[in-house]
Amino acid sequence: MPDDTVPSWEEVARHHGRTIYNFAYRLTGNPDDAHDLVQEVLLRVRRGLATYRPGSFEGWLWRITRNAFLDDVRRKKRRPTVPLPEDDRSSTGSSPAPDEVLASVRLSEDVQAALLRLPIEFREAVVMCDVVGLTYDEIADSAEIPVGTVRSRIHRGRKMLREMLT
Amino acid sequence: MTHPEELLSAFLDDELTPDERTLVATHLDECADCRSELAMVEVARSAVRSLPLLEPPPGLIPGIGVPRRSFSLRRAWVWATSGAVAVALAVVVAVAPGAPAPAFDLDTVADQHTARVVVEPGFATVRAPVGDR
Repeated sequence: MPDDTVPSWEEVARHHGRTIYNFAYRLTGNPDDAHDLVQEVLLRVRRGLATYRPGSFEGWLWRITRNAFLDDVRRKKRRPTVPLPEDDRSSTGSSPAPDEVLASVRLSEDVQAALLRLPIEFREAVVMCDVVGLTYDEIADSAEIPVGTVRSRIHRGRKMLREMLT
Repeated sequence: MTHPEELLSAFLDDELTPDERTLVATHLDECADCRSELAMVEVARSAVRSLPLLEPPPGLIPGIGVPRRSFSLRRAWVWATSGAVAVALAVVVAVAPGAPAPAFDLDTVADQHTARVVVEPGFATVRAPVGDR
């Protein structure tokens, strides 16, 4: 999306909605919290677009998304719950064998559970990088931290994940 | 030896400056521990990246995941209508006066029956009606 244009709310929802949902799901670990978080983000985007000035749209959007998540965490003051098994909400283009599907679901559940055990700062950095696909600069911009901190958080987060998955 | 541990993920993600990249690459050639750690974070990175992309529930996000029900019902109606018309046409053609009778070759049927009796002797046995058994 060009930096010199202000997108409409519908465009933001259409272009980024899926990614925001996946970001929300991977951070919260369950569909209900992800649902609430997406609604909150879209509401904030709708309000924020009125005063948005063309610039780094990705940074702006993910700052809103991240802040909505952190506010939710602070408000609930609780640890995210254990994720539900993923069912046919996952989109796959082919039809793998049932045992492959089962193994894949188990692996996904293990990875999701491990993500939820990461400290929030590491989890959000890893999810922004490996689920959303943001660059380190974009993560630094949205989290308002130096790039060096992003490097460190992603690396330490991945290292902890690997240890948990062993 | 100073290990550039916290640069390893950035090395994987191609997020280093050219100088930093050269530094890490040179170090990796000499350091088995860092090669091992690089392999470790690469596994974690792949695991997260291979998580399935989830579809948002219908109705949550405008323009995404439009409920399929109305579409399916419309399509089902079209298929049902088409099917009913096709069946009706088939019945009309089958019972229409003047329609050619289906081909029936008595000699061929008799030959097939004889052949089956030879192969399956019990086939020719006259069976009693169900009520008489």
